[in-house]
Amino acid sequence: MKSLKTLYIGAGILGALVLAAIFAPLITSYDPTEQDLLQTLSGPTGAHWLGTDALGRDVFSRLIYGARVDLTIGVLAVLLPFIIGVSLGLMTGWFGGKFDSSVMRVVDTVIAFPFYVLAIALVFIFGPGVKSIVVAITLVGWVAYCRIVRANVLVAKELDYIHAARLTGLPTSRILRRHMLPNVISQAIVFSMSDIVLSILAIVSLGYLGLGVPIPTAEWGSMIQEGQPYILQQWWLATIPGFMVVIVGFALSLIGDGLVSRLER
Amino acid sequence: MSTPLISIENLCVEIKTNRGLLQAIRGVSFDIDSGDSIGIVGESGSGKSITLKAVLGLLPNNAHVSSGKIFFAGRDISKLEKKARRALLSETAGMIFQDAIAALNPVITVGNQIAEVPRYRLGQSASQSRQSALKLIEQVGISDAESRFDLYPHQLSGGLRQRIAIAIALSGSPKILFCDEPTTALDVTIQAQVLRLLLELRKNSGLGIVFVTHDLAVVNEICDEIKVMYAGRFVESGSVDSTFNNPTHPYTYSLLKAAPDPDASVHRLFSISGEAPNLSEPVVGCPFAPRCFAGDAHCLTAEPELLKIARSESACFKSKDHDMWAASDSKSGVK
Repeated sequence: MKSLKTLYIGAGILGALVLAAIFAPLITSYDPTEQDLLQTLSGPTGAHWLGTDALGRDVFSRLIYGARVDLTIGVLAVLLPFIIGVSLGLMTGWFGGKFDSSVMRVVDTVIAFPFYVLAIALVFIFGPGVKSIVVAITLVGWVAYCRIVRANVLVAKELDYIHAARLTGLPTSRILRRHMLPNVISQAIVFSMSDIVLSILAIVSLGYLGLGVPIPTAEWGSMIQEGQPYILQQWWLATIPGFMVVIVGFALSLIGDGLVSRLER
Repeated sequence: MSTPLISIENLCVEIKTNRGLLQAIRGVSFDIDSGDSIGIVGESGSGKSITLKAVLGLLPNNAHVSSGKIFFAGRDISKLEKKARRALLSETAGMIFQDAIAALNPVITVGNQIAEVPRYRLGQSASQSRQSALKLIEQVGISDAESRFDLYPHQLSGGLRQRIAIAIALSGSPKILFCDEPTTALDVTIQAQVLRLLLELRKNSGLGIVFVTHDLAVVNEICDEIKVMYAGRFVESGSVDSTFNNPTHPYTYSLLKAAPDPDASVHRLFSISGEAPNLSEPVVGCPFAPRCFAGDAHCLTAEPELLKIARSESACFKSKDHDMWAASDSKSGVK
């Protein structure tokens, strides 16, 4: 039952963040991009709980609106690689042969390619923005799912109930979808939890480098970057957005750990 | 004579291992027709399960049929397209496995697993396929089919699981049922029930049965024909009656002798000394010769063919003398 507890705590933290992001306009009355140049770097006050930044924008509301951007892209940038990777993993593991070896060589190539070089190149092609980030993460992220699922398929392929299904002459698509998928997908789901953290980290890193979501949209990575010059006077400007990433990561790892013991027998 | 449903000619299977190529099956031939019941017996590693898997196209990636032919209804399956082969295979053969829990998908209810073939291969509607599944559940002797339909495999007992596995195997109405030690994992009373079910199916619907096991008593109970396998070949083949009463191969003789006899006054178990040959090296001479009580120098130089002896077939140079073994055994005892 310990696993259930971690699952619930993780889901609770993440749920609270998601709710905050969805109902951001109700929680804070400030527009995250509205500048108030008379009140820059105010420090925490009753009106601005976490103070204002160098352009007088409310840090608390930027943090909450930033959660919208970062969580959405984080999930989106995992969903696509998940779908692509799981389907390719299923097929490579099942059919084997030339198809399998050619896909696996692509996988090797992608793994050997530095992610940020690829991401920066894509940003130059498409321009900074959500699309480039999602495309870059998808291009790299699917390989992990492909390998995980393929390895599981190779094992499951020799199980008696797969043999039985093959022998009864069911169509291959049916065997893969109904018999194979539910039994090989759990590891991929668990991995996707930590993968969301990785992709949020990537978004934040790109944002920090100025290659992420274009300013002035509130986003944790660009907030860290904008807060950096004032780290000695107002440390929280750069630290708290980073801390948000840590909290999301913590919640997702708790969920992942809980799922491991729930899904894997 | 009409073409048998399944005909296997000189089948050889090689397995790639990290110690080299293993000759798992070295020339096996037999025919199976509807209504037949053939028992294949042998010790672990003699190649009985691999034979089944090779026939049914379920060999693992590291194994392949190196020579020989398999005919289904007179058609060489290696010459068929993949799709046609699978269709022909699934129309002709069904299979049940040793471990029923492993043979059932843990995430699908048993009813839906049985209904799958009627629904997705035979093209029945959802309600038709449900009816077919219920009928099959009743056919394998499970009462209260309606309430068992929605259970998951882990909610059933071992005997019920094996019955469900049989129902799944029967769902495509195959003509031959291949059984890979289906009763080994069950306790004796459940074993008897499952065997009785198989006998009934054979009697009522003319189902052919190929039964792989190491349990001679089971073969005696449900098979007409027995094939004894040793080191990847059949060493003796014949009717169960004549083989059990009058074995013509020393290995069969020793196997029968090694079976515990509940009536025996002496309770010391006989065992065959030595171990089966390593099949990753070429076999020289009779593979059983080093463990054989009847062998001589000649047996170590050439491998005997499976030849007709009396009412059975036997691969032994000494099988002409099989009457003498029993006689000398009662005097001196086989070593």
